[in-house]
Amino acid sequence: MKRYKVAALGLSTTLMFLISGCSSGPKPLYNYGDYSESYYGVKKEATAESALEYQQALEYCIEEADDSSSGRVPPGMYANLGYIYLKGGQNDKAKENFIKEKTIYPEAAHFMDRMIQKIDAMEGENEK
Amino acid sequence: MRSKYSIIYITVVVLGFILSGCATAPKVVTKGEAYPKMYDEQPRSLLILPPMNESTDAEAKDYYMTTAEMPFALMGYYTFPTEMVSDIMKQEGVYDTELLYNLPMNKFAEYFGADAVLLTRIKKWDVSYMVVASKLTVSISAKIVSTKTSEVLWAHSGTVVVDLSGGNSGGGLAGLIVNTIATAVNTAAADYVDYAHQANARLIGTLPAGPYSNMYMQDQSMPVYTVRGK
Repeated sequence: MKRYKVAALGLSTTLMFLISGCSSGPKPLYNYGDYSESYYGVKKEATAESALEYQQALEYCIEEADDSSSGRVPPGMYANLGYIYLKGGQNDKAKENFIKEKTIYPEAAHFMDRMIQKIDAMEGENEK
Repeated sequence: MRSKYSIIYITVVVLGFILSGCATAPKVVTKGEAYPKMYDEQPRSLLILPPMNESTDAEAKDYYMTTAEMPFALMGYYTFPTEMVSDIMKQEGVYDTELLYNLPMNKFAEYFGADAVLLTRIKKWDVSYMVVASKLTVSISAKIVSTKTSEVLWAHSGTVVVDLSGGNSGGGLAGLIVNTIATAVNTAAADYVDYAHQANARLIGTLPAGPYSNMYMQDQSMPVYTVRGK
């Protein structure tokens, strides 16, 4: 029995070393996914396809934010997504995302409030 | 007599070498010494403005913009979304002009609430074709300017030069043609963007860490560069 225990201990220790060896050190502060690549894709060729890839990259950054050392959504991602909604005329969704941006990052509050005020002013104009 | 003088002469020369050797001991400049204003002012947010494009490639500006956000955010700063900022600059009619960089800095605090502005210059973004070798160069200079005092808090530049000739420059006309094709293939826009990421990585290492970094206000003693004494 004892021999088994020793063997098991040795095996588990080896396994732990192997597993820890596989994980590649500390995670970066944020998980940016394919954000930069997809942003470049939009700039290179603005098509429906590249726009969709860009939006999906933003959504990935938000969904997979936990996979980083901070666990936070990277700066600007909610704002970028809100901006897509704003351009598409989905004002409520735009505002929702702008509020999320400033909730995580108080540094953005001034700018996001300005955007939200603009949307409200725009909607007021339309109602007249 | 003559030999006595020559001994003195040799001694002086040797001493001179030794002394000059001592004097040129490199001095390490730390982040705290190089950029004290970053630690004094402690900006939390960076507004990345559209770069000033001094290169020959008109597209470099838009492409470079897609690389600038990540490195500065990963250093711990809040970076404003560049796509929105660029569009606002376009609407205000300052995106493609020198006007942008001549605006009073407090305007950026007023409009965006930014603590500091990141100004970048694309100095080179090209391939120089030569008879035996072609080189791709991406060179970026960047500086952070306070929106409160308009003072430069940090400045650095990063350059990446890549030899595109791939070692085998071959002989004769056939070799030349092969190289030209290889060069054309090698210098797609995406490659420039890759090298822009590398140039950013070179300059970002000198930046004091921002408020979202574990190293915030802890990296004053990290070396930035070494200077040779006189």
